[in-house]
Amino acid sequence: MKDTLYFAQTNVRETLKLLNQYGRKATILAGGTDLVPKINYYEFKPDILVFIGDLGLDYIREKGGKLLIGAATPMAKIAASKLVAKKASALADAARQAGTAAVRTVATIGGNLANASPAADLAPPLLAMGAELLLLNAKGRRRVPLKDFFKGPGKTMLKAEELIAEISIPVPKGRTVFLKLGKRKAMTLSVVNVAVWVDMEGKKCREARIAVGSVAPTPLRCTQAEALLIGKGVDKELIAQCATAAMAASKPIDDQRATAWYRKQAGTALVARALAQAAGLENE
Amino acid sequence: MKYSLSFALNGFSVDALVKPTDTLLDVLREKLGVVSVKRGCDTGDCGACTVLLNGEPIRSCLTIALTVAGKKVETLEGLIKDGDLHPLQKSFHEHYAAQCGFCTPGMLMSAKALMDKNPKPTRKEIVEAISGNLCRCGAYQEIAEAIEVVAKGPGKE
Repeated sequence: MKDTLYFAQTNVRETLKLLNQYGRKATILAGGTDLVPKINYYEFKPDILVFIGDLGLDYIREKGGKLLIGAATPMAKIAASKLVAKKASALADAARQAGTAAVRTVATIGGNLANASPAADLAPPLLAMGAELLLLNAKGRRRVPLKDFFKGPGKTMLKAEELIAEISIPVPKGRTVFLKLGKRKAMTLSVVNVAVWVDMEGKKCREARIAVGSVAPTPLRCTQAEALLIGKGVDKELIAQCATAAMAASKPIDDQRATAWYRKQAGTALVARALAQAAGLENE
Repeated sequence: MKYSLSFALNGFSVDALVKPTDTLLDVLREKLGVVSVKRGCDTGDCGACTVLLNGEPIRSCLTIALTVAGKKVETLEGLIKDGDLHPLQKSFHEHYAAQCGFCTPGMLMSAKALMDKNPKPTRKEIVEAISGNLCRCGAYQEIAEAIEVVAKGPGKE
């Protein structure tokens, strides 16, 4: 068996050259929290590991009405960021509840998306806020809406020679909410996770976005459910209808964490609760 | 292919020849003889291998060793200063915060990471900080109490 090679550059351009040269043989290593267990249990042996933790892709800033987050930014930094808490609280809440402290220290936002787990906790808030990914390769760049990025469990549109460099989030007007149900509070994959963004004008909904995870092969935007809210006066009844519609778009499976039936029930309740919180109706 | 790796371990510079697939846990236990760091699950779930990297808690079993090049790693061995136990270690001892002891090094490192940043954590913050460390003897109450006593300071038990 061939030995694994290791590269750790400090320069994005050099890293892109390597990815271009080695293609599928190269495995990108960021926090490693999803990759390394597979290596430890001999399920996967990389030909080439390319570490991207020293490329300077660890930053959070605001520019031109957008929140820009480097792909190698760890979840702990996102969870602790005052800027994220203020401008995109659902993302901060999702980062705070992912894994546990020792995982959040290293697990990155880019890795959470690139691994394309249907249960990825950062995906629903980013979908709900209409995030876009900046993908680089040795010859150029492209911007891809996150809603087009996921292709199936573990599958994305990222090409072998491409690197996720940055996640850009249009700063939402109104309120965002993230809720997660796991088997326990810490170090658990979501049974279902939900993020919503609601912009209200009094009792009327100006804009609404709903995204759910762990209930389909990919994290899901629920556009049909959103359409029920937009432009309407929001009350508990409409929220209940909308939550049912959101889960109608889901295709959950039975697995060791929960049954499909339970995921639908819990998902409906979580969407309703998140919408009520975001619309300011939780106490009615 | 092996690569040479240098990093600071408990304040001392150390070197090792490692494979890219070696984890920090492999290198600490098998090459550097640092055996306080326990191999529990090798998937990041149990917390027994928790160490500090530049002051932050990490799972050494999930960390490719070469990624810590030039960084600071702390393990339980670094807690003892001039032969004296760290206040957290003393408190664990006094409060019977261990039965088998397998989770203890990881628990102590998670607790240290918390208290280095937040010297007066609440019970809730303590429980949150050790929520990724499993204790199969079920000594959680004693462990949280041992940390809380240190957080409250001397004479506040």
